[in-house]
Amino acid sequence: MIEARGVEKWYPNGFHALRGVDLTVHKGEVVVIMGPSGSGKSTFIRTFNALEDFQKGSIVVDGIALSDDVRQIEAIRREVGMVFQQFNLFPHLTVLENLTLAPVLVRKRARAEVERQALELLERVGIHEQARKYPGQLSGGQQQRVAIARSLCMEPRVMLFDEPTSALDPEMVQEVLEVMQELAREGMTMVVVTHELRFARRVASRVVLMADGEVVEEAPPEQFFTSPRHERSRQFLSQIG
Amino acid sequence: MEPLIRRLRRELFATPLDGLVSIALIALLLAAATAFVRWALLQAEWAVIQANSTLFAVGRYPQEQQWRLWLLTALLAAATGLSWGLLRGLPHRGRLGRPWPPNDRLAALVLAGLALAVPPALGLQPAIQQRWWLITALLLGVRWAAGRWAPALPPALRRWIPLLWPVLYLLGMVLISGGLGLIQVPPSEWGGLLLTLMQASFAILLCFPLGILLALGRRSELPLLRWGSVVYIEFIRGAPLITLLFLGQNLLGFLLPGGMAPDRVWRAAWVLTLFAAAYVAEAVRAGLAAVPAGQLEAARSLGLPFPQALIHVVLPQALRVALPATVGQFISLLQDTTLLSLIGLLELLGTARAVMANPAFLGRNAEVYLVLAVLFWCCCAALGLGSRALETRLNPYTSTNATTATPAAPAQA
Repeated sequence: MIEARGVEKWYPNGFHALRGVDLTVHKGEVVVIMGPSGSGKSTFIRTFNALEDFQKGSIVVDGIALSDDVRQIEAIRREVGMVFQQFNLFPHLTVLENLTLAPVLVRKRARAEVERQALELLERVGIHEQARKYPGQLSGGQQQRVAIARSLCMEPRVMLFDEPTSALDPEMVQEVLEVMQELAREGMTMVVVTHELRFARRVASRVVLMADGEVVEEAPPEQFFTSPRHERSRQFLSQIG
Repeated sequence: MEPLIRRLRRELFATPLDGLVSIALIALLLAAATAFVRWALLQAEWAVIQANSTLFAVGRYPQEQQWRLWLLTALLAAATGLSWGLLRGLPHRGRLGRPWPPNDRLAALVLAGLALAVPPALGLQPAIQQRWWLITALLLGVRWAAGRWAPALPPALRRWIPLLWPVLYLLGMVLISGGLGLIQVPPSEWGGLLLTLMQASFAILLCFPLGILLALGRRSELPLLRWGSVVYIEFIRGAPLITLLFLGQNLLGFLLPGGMAPDRVWRAAWVLTLFAAAYVAEAVRAGLAAVPAGQLEAARSLGLPFPQALIHVVLPQALRVALPATVGQFISLLQDTTLLSLIGLLELLGTARAVMANPAFLGRNAEVYLVLAVLFWCCCAALGLGSRALETRLNPYTSTNATTATPAAPAQA
């Protein structure tokens, strides 16, 4: 589904953020990327839907190679959902309008039909009674669940999660993780940047540890958490453990 | 609530020094007020206003064509009443409409009072008095009806009502300047309040979209577009309007191919527009800067092409932030139209100067300037009120920062 080969990125200030990263994500897999802050993990998944550019290497998403062609980038973005650390809901639109905006504008689907689907999705994430409210009236956890539903409303084939629980109050983390877990159980292909060990342990097909713009270790969760092969992984686990 | 007497005592007479200062100031204010009233009632000669009321209103617009302006005024009054009534009467964002909030009752009373008191006080002709009453009655009548029956309006029709305004604007242009079977009235015959309002409304309507484009240009990644916008904005903001007006009168004739150059009135309108656009662009730029980068990223990640992301996600938020500063710009634009008198146009101030130059009205400057000030104040107050109504309607919930939002009703996950 996602095939990244030797991805390298330099920021305009010369900082070498990604140093030849490889990653393959198969259909239905949940790949959790971990690593210390500044390791390039967010930058890396943001290259998948061209929110960040890269200078070397190649990325193929759902059969489409990423290039500078805006048409192709938009084609990829239609199939790739993204959930952000800061939710990034549209504050001037109601919850329902947040969900229906893109399917109506981009997929050119009938509004009534999209609204029906949106309400179903909101019910699935447990907030359909808030559909007519504005994002500012919801708690952080509710907002993040709306953000997930907003992405799902485009019927993506892959979902990217960029630290989805890092901006949440601790008591709201669980409700968001449960929605994500449910999504994984239904077979959604997911790439998740997170520090939630329990989520990684329970849901991930593979865990990837990144440090200093490189992949240090890539392993199934049991192996990664119980007997990591690399010194850098052990160090990271002891720091967050 | 605290009794008035005790509050006055606490605020004005807390200490002996306070008391002295208060007494001195009150005496001064009273003296000034009585002097003003005595001047207005006894010394001032309002004949200068009576004799020139038509000149102040429309300049030398031909007498036999003035019915067109009355018709336009009536249409505007009806449209205002309709929009006003619907704004209050329609349910909005889940809240029920309130046809007559207290402020609106007060406003209606003020309007009725003005209609009853001002024309006789100014000694206008009976025919004009009656038209004034009719138009006020029309405005309030439509306002009442719209507020009363707004909820019964079919939603399909509701969506088209804002379109009334651009249509009315174009119709107004035709009514004022002629065409479609009406006799042409050249711009050189427009004057007074008519010219002031035409210049201001033309410039306000056009500088807004131009300002948005300039602001977007200034934030563009294309160097040519960015630097072009920067140079334009900084040049305009660095030059005094009066200079640009003179420049426009002289230069536009050379710049545009023969025959395309508009006449003096339209040249001035374009200069005002291009001038105000630079300032609006800065207000909009501040608004754009206030929208977090994540908003555009979220919109793009959903597959929205850049123009759609801009129109549906970024601009609505940016313009909301930019609205107060933009309206401030509109108000100063309205006042800046007085500069047109310096390039020889007979808008309000130009008309006033022409009237005061008439030997028959020598020394009546105070009366004329006072009326001018009140007229401008009325126009600006109307702009300010309208924009504040728009602001409250656009801002149902002020929270734009999703992360700091307080939970309204945390759900059980």
